[in-house]
Amino acid sequence: MKKRLYLELENCIGCRSCLAACTQCGGHEQRNRNYVYDVNPLVNRQTMPLMCLHCVNPACARSCPAQAIQIHETGAVLSALVEKCIGCQNCTIACPYGIPKFDTEQNLMYKCDLCIDRSKDGIPPMCASVCPSNTLQWLTDEEIEAKQKHFTLDNGKWVTSMPYLEGDTNVKVNLPGILQGVTKLF
Amino acid sequence: MQSTISATTTKKPARNVNDAFASHFAKSMFLTVAGIAILVFIGTRMFTHIDLNLYGYMVGTIVFLGGFFYRFIAWGERPPTKIMIKKGLKLLFRKSTPKTAVNHLAIYDFIRNRGLYRWVQHILIGWGCVLACLVTFPLVFSWMYFTMEENGYYTIVLFGMNVMKVPAEGIIAFFSYNALNIAAIMVTAGVCMALRRRLKNMQARAEQKFMYDFLPLYLLLIISVTGLLLTVQNVFLHGWMQPQMSLIHQFSVIVTLIYLPFGKLAHIPFRPMSIFARNYREHYGEQEMKKCKVCGDHFVSVEQSNDVIQVLSTNEMEFNMKDGFNLAELCLPCRRKYRIARFSGFATHQVKVKEANQNARG
Ligand code: HEM
Ligand code: SF4
Ligand code: SF4
Repeated sequence: MKKRLYLELENCIGCRSCLAACTQCGGHEQRNRNYVYDVNPLVNRQTMPLMCLHCVNPACARSCPAQAIQIHETGAVLSALVEKCIGCQNCTIACPYGIPKFDTEQNLMYKCDLCIDRSKDGIPPMCASVCPSNTLQWLTDEEIEAKQKHFTLDNGKWVTSMPYLEGDTNVKVNLPGILQGVTKLF
Repeated sequence: MQSTISATTTKKPARNVNDAFASHFAKSMFLTVAGIAILVFIGTRMFTHIDLNLYGYMVGTIVFLGGFFYRFIAWGERPPTKIMIKKGLKLLFRKSTPKTAVNHLAIYDFIRNRGLYRWVQHILIGWGCVLACLVTFPLVFSWMYFTMEENGYYTIVLFGMNVMKVPAEGIIAFFSYNALNIAAIMVTAGVCMALRRRLKNMQARAEQKFMYDFLPLYLLLIISVTGLLLTVQNVFLHGWMQPQMSLIHQFSVIVTLIYLPFGKLAHIPFRPMSIFARNYREHYGEQEMKKCKVCGDHFVSVEQSNDVIQVLSTNEMEFNMKDGFNLAELCLPCRRKYRIARFSGFATHQVKVKEANQNARG
C-alpha cells in the first residue's frame, strides 16, 4: 500500500523532534535537511515545519546541469549523487521553497530524500516516525481522502496545492483548521 | 513516475533535438575516429609497429566512443548543461583555473572534506586508473613502444620519435614494466576500501544499487586482479594459462569501457564541468551580486539568478509572485519564510528576525 507524507501544519508545537530525527537517518551524516519556522516570532509561539515537498516536476532537478538529482520510482526527489554534483548551486536557487542545502567544503548539495532507505519499503521517514503532534503523518491516499470528508471543506481548498504551492507535489500539505476558520494561530 | 529526468527536457519539439543529435553524434564520432587513425599512423611509423594482441582494446575503445558521444551529446542538450558549458568555456582562461583544476581533478580536496577514508579510497582508484590508462592506451594505439637496439638498453619510442634510452635493469625501466602492476595494486586496494564502506557503512548502504554502485567496483576489481594474475603467471608459472587469462582481462576492460558512459563511472569524463561551475560562480559573483528582494542580503550572482529563471522557463516553470518578485530573487531563508507566509496568511518573511534554531541543538 503506497503511503505518502502528509503535513497538517497547524498542529506543530515547535519541539523540533523532526529535525533531530532527520540527523539520524542512514545517509544523512548527522545533518538535518528540514526546517521549523516561527510564524510570527515576536508575537506568538506558533511554528510550522517546512521540508522538501517532492515536487512532481521538481525545479531542482530540472535546473541541475549534472543530472545529479534523481527521481526515485516512489516519486521521492533524491539528494545529489555524490560523484555527480559539480557544486554549481543552481538547485538551491531554483527550488521555489528554498530547500536544498549546500556544503561548500564538500562541494556537495544535500537535501531531503524522504529517508529513501525507509520509505521505499513503506516505512515512514524519520520525521513522521517521531512527530508527537500529528503534524507529520504517513498515510495512504484513502486515509487522506477520509480526512478530506472529515473536514468538509470544498475540494479546491482542501489539500493545499495552488495557490499555496507552486505546483503538484508528492507530499501533501494541509491546514484544515485555518482554512475552515475554526483554529486560530496561537 | 519516471525514475530519471530524461535528456529531452527542452521545450523544442523532439524531432528537432533528434535531428541535431544525430548529426552531432556522427560528426563527433567521425572526427575522433579519424583523429585516432592519424595518431596511430604517425605513432606506428606508418603502420609498421602494430601490436595485434591489443586488437580487442581497439574495438572496445571505438564502441566506448559511440556510447560516450551518445550519452554526452544528449547531456549537453539539456538547457542548464548547455548554459554551464557555454559560459564555462568562455571563462576557461581565468587566473584561478589551474589551481581549481588541480584541486578538483587531481587532489580532490573536497572529497577529503567528506572523510579521509573516502579520499584515500578515491586517490587509489582514480590515480590507479589514470596511471593504467596512461600506459595502456599509448601501447594499444602504438603511440609508444620499446625497442632494444643495443644490448642492455631500451629505447622508448613516443609518436615515432626516440625519446630516451634507459638501462634495462635501471629504475626507470623497472617502473615502466611495473607501472601496470602498481596501478593494479592501487585500484585493488581502493576498490576493496570502497566495497568495505558499501557493506559496513550505514550512510553508504542507504542509497546504493547493484547496477549503479557495485557493478563498476566489481568490474574494476576483475580488471586489476586478472591483470596482476597475468604478471604472476608470467613471472612464477612460465606463462601457464596466460592466453586464457589475457582474454578474460581484455574482455573485462572492454565491458568496463562500454559500461562507462552509462553508469557511475560516467562521472570521470563529466567531472571537469566542476571547474566550469566554480569559474562561473567566482566570475559572475565578482561582477554583480543579487540582493535578496526581501532582506537585501547578497546571496547569489545576478547572472546565475537570471540563468536559473531562464532555465526554469524553458521547462514551463515561472515562479513570479504577486508580491512583485521571482522566487529565485529571494535568499534561501526568506524564500522559506515566504512559503510559511503563504501557508499561514501572516507575512513571516517581513518580520526582521533571523531564522532560529534550524539544527535541533536546543
Ligand atoms: C576526473 C577526476 C575525478 C573526479 C573529480 C572524481 C570525483 C569523484 C567523486 C566526488 C566521487 C564520490 C566520492 C565520495 O563522495 O565518496 C567519486 C567516486 C568514484 N570514482 Fe571518481 N572522480 C574522478 C576520476 C575517477 C577515475 C579516473 C576513476 C577510475 C575508474 C574513478 C572511480 C570512481 C569510483 C569507482 C567511485 C565510487 C566509489 C564508491 O563506490 O564509493 N573516478 N569520484
Ligand atoms: S521542494 Fe524544492 S527540493 Fe523538493 S523537489 Fe521541489 S524543487 Fe526540489
Ligand atoms: S549544486 Fe549539484 S545538485 Fe545542485 S544543481 Fe548544481 S550540480 Fe546539481
